[in-house]
Amino acid sequence: MADTREVISSGNHLAALAGADAGCRFMAGYPITPSSEVIEQMSDLLPKRGGSCIQMEDEIAAVAAAIGAGMAGHRTMTATSGPGISLKAENLGLAQMCEVPLVVVNVMRGGPSTGLPTRVSQGDVRQAKNPSHGDYRSITLCAGNLAECYTETVRAFNLADRFMQPVFVLLDETIGHMHGKAIIPTPEAVAAGVVPRKQFSGAPEDYHPYECESDQPAVLNKMFEGYRYHFTGLHHDKNGFPTEEIETCRKLIQRLEDKVMLHTDELELNEEFMLDDMTGEEGEVLIIAYGSVSLSAKEAIRHLRAAGIKAGLFRPLTLWPSPEKSIKKYTDLIKNVLCVELNIRQYTEEVERVSSRLDIEGLFKVNGRPISPYEIVSKVKEVF
Amino acid sequence: MSKTLMRFTGVGGQGVLLAGEIFAAAKIATGGEGLKTATYTSQVRGGPTVVDIQLDDQEIYYPYANDGEIGFMLSVANVSYNSFKDGVQPGGIIVVDPNLVHPTDEDRKMWKIFEIPIITIAKEEVGNVITQSVVALAIANTMMNAVDKKTLVDTMLSKVPAKVHAANLKAYDLGEKYAKEAMAKAV
Repeated sequence: MADTREVISSGNHLAALAGADAGCRFMAGYPITPSSEVIEQMSDLLPKRGGSCIQMEDEIAAVAAAIGAGMAGHRTMTATSGPGISLKAENLGLAQMCEVPLVVVNVMRGGPSTGLPTRVSQGDVRQAKNPSHGDYRSITLCAGNLAECYTETVRAFNLADRFMQPVFVLLDETIGHMHGKAIIPTPEAVAAGVVPRKQFSGAPEDYHPYECESDQPAVLNKMFEGYRYHFTGLHHDKNGFPTEEIETCRKLIQRLEDKVMLHTDELELNEEFMLDDMTGEEGEVLIIAYGSVSLSAKEAIRHLRAAGIKAGLFRPLTLWPSPEKSIKKYTDLIKNVLCVELNIRQYTEEVERVSSRLDIEGLFKVNGRPISPYEIVSKVKEVF
Repeated sequence: MSKTLMRFTGVGGQGVLLAGEIFAAAKIATGGEGLKTATYTSQVRGGPTVVDIQLDDQEIYYPYANDGEIGFMLSVANVSYNSFKDGVQPGGIIVVDPNLVHPTDEDRKMWKIFEIPIITIAKEEVGNVITQSVVALAIANTMMNAVDKKTLVDTMLSKVPAKVHAANLKAYDLGEKYAKEAMAKAV
């Protein structure tokens, strides 16, 4: 049997389908353009699969309910747009501290504040890195075509259970609303790839959920099965109860850092488009883009190549943590680098940091309109 | 043909989105690539709405129609017509509802403009104003020959409730008839 199928759908509907296929059985949300179709679709899918979908009274309640389901042991998600993330930020910090797995789909629109509700933006890339205060590492994935709205959401659920923390899936208005063909894995293939979160199976009195290896996440058993522990946003001990003991506090936060940063190889995923013939010779152009902008970049590269300019695209699918070594490799090899983003320098600054270069060119747009392939072609011809 | 770019424009609530989805699905059913994107404003109803439809035999990357490359535009609202007409290539086809859209003399020199009372046809001849999107679909396909007609009609029927199949088939036939008449008159 083939392990893929062809569907005709929109990005938002594919993100919802991915959740349902990946075993999500609870969603709580509060509708907001341009993400509303995710919860609309889940309200149809989840009851048919024995799950529940609830529209809460606001974004804060929605993420709180979703975290509650995650605490109880279920695969759970919420979906929103940038203004919704702003409201959810405090509880996202709680989920980081308590190590509760959760998938957060953010379909980006123009900001700050209520911004441009129906128009495209990538203005939440920096927000996704640190939505809440304190030290923790965001895991943020970003879909760059219709099929990835499905596959990245599936990946997010598996990573959330592996790393025991919220995982962001960034879509944008363009990707979320565009409607066409996608080749995606079958539900059977997705189910075969599901690795449920770790569970402790020894005697209940020997169970200490936060007593784990220094680079590993907490092991949170499902509730109501005889394993008792405590959740708090305060620094906590091995059983989840508040503590100010110096070493316990240090180890906890260091572990939140290390459980992600010492395992970035499990997180990194990139697309390298027309980069295999790059040799570092004069005149080669490296474009770095992600999300819907990468579609425009690919078409621009078709035009540039036709005009004799050797251009290629590096596209991270995992934005945070950033693919440091891969970015460094290409920015070391290729002199002419152009970052294209629907924000002002939000990822370009990361490229500058990782590459230790301050001559990275940028093409940015923040008026809610997409960047066309011709704008990228013009920019390349202008600056290089 | 390899690539067809079409743009449907109206105001929010008129149902122009559905026509785009039908076109994309029909093209995909024939083994090609079809993509629909919509742009609209924060207004629930009344804001200018534009749907770009790309049909291609090869993979489509950029999901919007590039301005200046659009071969066909249909408009049922003056505000949208004025906002989006410049995306149509010189000499391209623009179909407007003459009761709602008022092209200038310069426009008529720039593009092939056909006037077909789409809303009136749907409301009075079909008897259901919602079928205007199918009238529009038929006009677009008759003028552009974008997708095999039977595939398009079958796809359309699969996306509307069974109880309105007859009305929508009638809407398609009327759209086709008016499009042919308009083209014959122009020659």
